[in-house]
Amino acid sequence: MNVGRAYVDILEPRRKPGGIVGFMTRNWYPQHTMTLDKKYSPEDLKDLVANSLYMDSIMESICSRTGATKEELQKIVHNFLEEMGLDKKVHVIRWMGVLFLKICFMMKIKMFVNEVAVFKLKSIMGNNPVLFLPTHRSYADFCLMTYLCYHFNIDFPAVAAGMDFYSMAVIGRRMRETGAFYIRRTLGGDELYAVTLKQYVKTVVAKHAAPIEFFLEGTRSRSNKSMPPKYGMLSMAMVPFFSHEVSDITIVPVNISYDRLMETTLFAYEHLGVPKPKESTGGFLKALHNLNDHFGYIYLNVGLPISAREFFNQNPKVLNSPETAKPMDLQAVTPEQFKQVQSLANHVITVQQKNTMVTIANFVALTLMQNIQLNKLATIDEVYADIELFIKDLGYFGASIFVDLKDAVERILVVHQKMMKLDGEKRLKLIIASPMELSDEVKKKIKGHLMHPETMATSVSVIQLQLYVNPVLHFLVPASLLYLCVFHDPGQVTEVYFERVKVLRKMLSHEFFYVESDMEDKFQEALTFCSRHDVLAYDKEMDTLKLGKDKKRQWMLTWTLAPFITTLHVATLIMLEQHGRITEAEAAKRIQRKVVEFVQPREEHWLGHPYSLSLEVARNCLRGLADARSLIKYRGDNISYEAVPVNLEVAHRLTLSVLHRIPVDFHNNKAVCNQLLQSRL
Amino acid sequence: MLSDRNPYSPIVKMSAASASSSGSKMKNVENDNSSKRTVGSVKKKSSGDKNKKSESNTSSTIIKVKSVIPKRRQDLLKWYGWGYKDSMFKLEGNAATFTGNRYSIGGQTLPHLAQWAIDKFGIDPSRDPKIPELPKTFAESRLPESIRLELEEIAEVSIDGMDRLIRAHGQTLKDMAQLRTNSFPRIPDAVIWPDSHEQVEQIVACASRHNFVIIPFGGGTSVSGAVTCPAKETRPIVVLDTSDLNSILWLDKEQLLARVQAGIVGQDLEREMRARGFTVGHEPDSYEFSTLGGWVATRASGMKKNTYGNIEDLIVNTKVVTARGVFEKSCRVPRVSCGPEWEHVIMGSEGCFGVVTEVTIKIRPLPPVVRYGSLVFPDWESGFYFEREVARRRLQPSSIRLMDNEQFRFGQALKTENTWGGVLLDGLKRLYITKIKGFDPAKLCVVTLLMEGSAEEVSERESKLNNIAAQFGGIPAGATNGENGYTLTFVIAYLRDVAMEYDVVSESFETSVPWDRTLALCANVKQRIRNECAKRGIDKYLISHRLTQTYDAGCCIYFYFGHYIGNCVDPVSTYEEIEEAARDEIIACGGSISHHHGVGKLRKKWYADTVSEPGRQLLLAAKKALDPDNIFALGNMAFEEHSNNTDVSVKSKL
Ligand SMILES: Cc1cc2nc3c(=O)[nH]c(=O)nc-3n(C[C@H](O)[C@H](O)[C@H](O)COP(=O)(O)OP(=O)(O)OC[C@H]3O[C@@H](n4cnc5c(N)ncnc54)[C@H](O)[C@@H]3O)c2cc1C
Repeated sequence: MNVGRAYVDILEPRRKPGGIVGFMTRNWYPQHTMTLDKKYSPEDLKDLVANSLYMDSIMESICSRTGATKEELQKIVHNFLEEMGLDKKVHVIRWMGVLFLKICFMMKIKMFVNEVAVFKLKSIMGNNPVLFLPTHRSYADFCLMTYLCYHFNIDFPAVAAGMDFYSMAVIGRRMRETGAFYIRRTLGGDELYAVTLKQYVKTVVAKHAAPIEFFLEGTRSRSNKSMPPKYGMLSMAMVPFFSHEVSDITIVPVNISYDRLMETTLFAYEHLGVPKPKESTGGFLKALHNLNDHFGYIYLNVGLPISAREFFNQNPKVLNSPETAKPMDLQAVTPEQFKQVQSLANHVITVQQKNTMVTIANFVALTLMQNIQLNKLATIDEVYADIELFIKDLGYFGASIFVDLKDAVERILVVHQKMMKLDGEKRLKLIIASPMELSDEVKKKIKGHLMHPETMATSVSVIQLQLYVNPVLHFLVPASLLYLCVFHDPGQVTEVYFERVKVLRKMLSHEFFYVESDMEDKFQEALTFCSRHDVLAYDKEMDTLKLGKDKKRQWMLTWTLAPFITTLHVATLIMLEQHGRITEAEAAKRIQRKVVEFVQPREEHWLGHPYSLSLEVARNCLRGLADARSLIKYRGDNISYEAVPVNLEVAHRLTLSVLHRIPVDFHNNKAVCNQLLQSRL
Repeated sequence: MLSDRNPYSPIVKMSAASASSSGSKMKNVENDNSSKRTVGSVKKKSSGDKNKKSESNTSSTIIKVKSVIPKRRQDLLKWYGWGYKDSMFKLEGNAATFTGNRYSIGGQTLPHLAQWAIDKFGIDPSRDPKIPELPKTFAESRLPESIRLELEEIAEVSIDGMDRLIRAHGQTLKDMAQLRTNSFPRIPDAVIWPDSHEQVEQIVACASRHNFVIIPFGGGTSVSGAVTCPAKETRPIVVLDTSDLNSILWLDKEQLLARVQAGIVGQDLEREMRARGFTVGHEPDSYEFSTLGGWVATRASGMKKNTYGNIEDLIVNTKVVTARGVFEKSCRVPRVSCGPEWEHVIMGSEGCFGVVTEVTIKIRPLPPVVRYGSLVFPDWESGFYFEREVARRRLQPSSIRLMDNEQFRFGQALKTENTWGGVLLDGLKRLYITKIKGFDPAKLCVVTLLMEGSAEEVSERESKLNNIAAQFGGIPAGATNGENGYTLTFVIAYLRDVAMEYDVVSESFETSVPWDRTLALCANVKQRIRNECAKRGIDKYLISHRLTQTYDAGCCIYFYFGHYIGNCVDPVSTYEEIEEAARDEIIACGGSISHHHGVGKLRKKWYADTVSEPGRQLLLAAKKALDPDNIFALGNMAFEEHSNNTDVSVKSKL
């Protein structure tokens, strides 16, 4: 479905002369999320927490257990709150807004928003807290959401930010003043910190009449696609609803898609295990310098608001908890409620996935990646044709598509001029960066297997391209798995394939998030797609499946999943070799090394998709195998695994059955423009 | 004349609260004796750890209270009598002392006591007291090993003889007599110490599975026979000792509520609350040792009920493990109109319906001022009418008590060399000479007052009370006298032991009665006892009463009766016969079966008549609904004691 028309570039009005300053100095009477009799300032919020019954009770308990004095603990809590607490300085926000717009213009960005959804949301705001749950693909997400609110006259969101920002000199401070509150990622068993945070979040949700924003996935996705949610923050935020302190909580999933991410190079290195430099103000300023370029469009898809009350309504155990006999402030989330929070979080992630804006950048990346694997150099017209097909197929799976084909491709080639280009004959090529010399310092910190610099350079470039392929893959996964299963073992009844797809899906669930209860529908959808296009031939009478004739789509369904299945299969290999427990980090490293061996090396070049070298993919595969009971997972400071030999053996055979080795030399490839080779010539 | 006391300042020895501070003075009565336990009682580490985990997971607002009373009660408490081991009356010739330093008269000589006892009872203080030997043989535990192992998976278990013996009884005269002679027809077969509601659930489920009996045991201060091991029970009996269920689960200083596990001991609860600036204010005279769960199960009444309420006024929610599941109201509300209040079926259930595990209880901020006072009246009747008037005008301070002349004089007998006990008489002598001639020392009665509130409130209340007192011929007699009266409360409980040691059997019993019948009841009961004694040739005895609580519709009368055993063949039975006659008289005079001690096994005779036959049927129906297999076979109130064998009640002999 092409949704382009519903979207408006909200930066457009600011491009007029004087458009920035006038707008950023206008009067500020924002829409609040709730009308409370009393307004609570940021300082009030901290005081409420410090003086709450909850904190008092916990401190009494800790005192009685440890012998600490109340005053000591109060002091600690005070410090926690100073570290944590948000602030709000409208003048800072105005200045930041000016800076934001200047930078956007420097980056030549357009910011498309489905305006109507925002107006609708505003019209139902005012009665209860609102949670904004955006996807997290880039640091820019913070700024975009805050700007979005300013633009639409919604009070600035209180944003949960990680401590890495806190330590940045100026930025950390300014972010706090624009409504960020800081949370330590690892609560590290510090009971007092954990409860202070709980109480703070609860208080902000119930008493701060502005939206609360946090990232369900917990951290920035390095793969430009959804990750399984973390449940802690959401369950803390839902407490005022469970205790009926507020009548409802409105949850707004937001998907933010980028034509071009600023962080792709970094991410690519991270996938390979090369350490990411710590965020620092200096680094940030340097990044600023690189912003004078074309960054294309950003798409903010504000999803339909979900009412917690309605979402939970089916379940009276959630609304009426035995905890109501406790003081309101001490009410805890019951196990039943936590389960429901989990399903709410999972639901929000699937909504985010569904609301992923599939843009021309993704389509160009898809076609280019496909051609590289075919070792084929495609002309721009062939590219158009491929794109049309992808649009059709992804449309079938319900993707939101934002494309204006004609000038879009040209526009995107400008945006991604460092990644791809047209050669003299208007044929599309991937640009491979020159190999990077790693300092010994960096080499020491490498988490993965040390690769040949050229392999590394190629890998980094291909992985960056892959990052634009990733966001659409979840649409294709069920069909891919189905096709691969049939390809290996045709003629079985659909039930057999369903079972196999189900298991494989589970093993890949950390890579491609899904909700298990949707599995049957998704399988049906995949089956219909495959039989309609003759990817597979369905025998109605026998309820069996055979291979069909649509080679093009068969190929699409094969290559898109290949790197992931390779890693998954290698993971089973590694774990079968392993005796006893192994840490996740070590296992991932071994998987990476094994992948290199597994896809036979020729000279120094490597014939496999570099994305299967990703440590992240390796980790996700291990987790998936644990979910599928092929491994036992041990939590702790270091996650570790142990094989369940019987099950792992089965997993090994199953993954082998759907494995396709696609021997491609990404280094010497028709669709690749190797800067190093060129410079040698 | 009156002393102001700021409760925030360290508690002064002589105040009623001194008993609560006494615990903290006991150094290191830690449970380091656990190593002495029988092999079977060693707690499984694994299950213990598991439980700790689940506790901290569910909530971290828990305040684990360190109890004054150790798990091996016998290390701190007198196994054969009342209270602390180190605290007791001693007669050595004519010099009496009270040992230990827990109470105000501790370590002091009481020069008048022996003579008083000789005059009253004709005892021979020169001979040695009868102190029983530590028992060495105990009935074998009937608990099958397999069940014991199963129980050990849940919580700590002991089958040690002493552990079982000291939990076979409460504090009735008969209990004491049988305890001293180690002649209980039945003692429990095991003791188990759960520390969470969940563990209690598991224990009760286990009992249902294997059909053994559970007796909930709090402080063992019952004076109705309620907690005493049912003599004729043939199934194994496991005492569920609630002393480990003593955490404060949460404390809401704003709502003035606390959620507390039911095994918490009164003085521990009060100490923890006071440390945080609050008080529960529920102080039965036994509160040093009795427990929250015991209070609920017996419908207890505290000395300061006028300010804080009786247990039924204090409780907001009760959680009970019954054999049919967990009983609890779903909401925490001040009142509800939802048919009969079933929580009141639990209150006063005397252990027969299940185990109270958690209670939400009201707390109050500590009053800024606590002040004692006393008033002297020429006789019982004028004191009584004063009390009546105060109640009519609802001007009762936290506590207001009227003592008869007998008790007043006993108070004199308890005076120490340091003469604090003499203040009243000395002072009165003066008064007597100067102003109020005509007060007969053999008739006068004393009212003691305990007032709490702001300085202003207290002063105002006091002057009102003094004015009313004046109307009835009463005159103020000073704060110290009032305070002494309340302090004595806790010491009086120790008298019975020394009495027994010198051949006096004694006991107290109480009733509630409408105002209009009170005077007649008091007179008739006293007369009836005199008659009963005469009939039996008992001439050395004491009969005394006091008015301890007042209400709109009546009051509580507390009797003391003791007699020298003389030639009695079976003095305990004789005592019981006389008490039974007294109770018959009480009932005939319009009094009740009990104001706060409960029915237990001692007062079953009057139960059905008190509640009517449909009432009895309701009780039986409740039992059938909550405990069809009679797991809680305590046999209190209208319930039969299980019986296979013929009556084996052993005649007790001192
Ligand atoms: C010196 C002295 C003074 C006293 N003064 C007062 C007084 O001022 N006011 C007053 O009301 N009483 C008084 N009593 C009586 C006695 O202290 C109370 O009945 C008290 O409530 C009993 O509490 P306990 O914890 O000792 O219970 P126990 O004696 O252990 O048990 C009493 C009954 O309650 C049951 N029970 C105990 N705990 C639980 C539980 N958790 N769940 C279910 N059932 C349970 C037992 O099975 C038993 O039937 C006094 C007793 C003595 C010896």
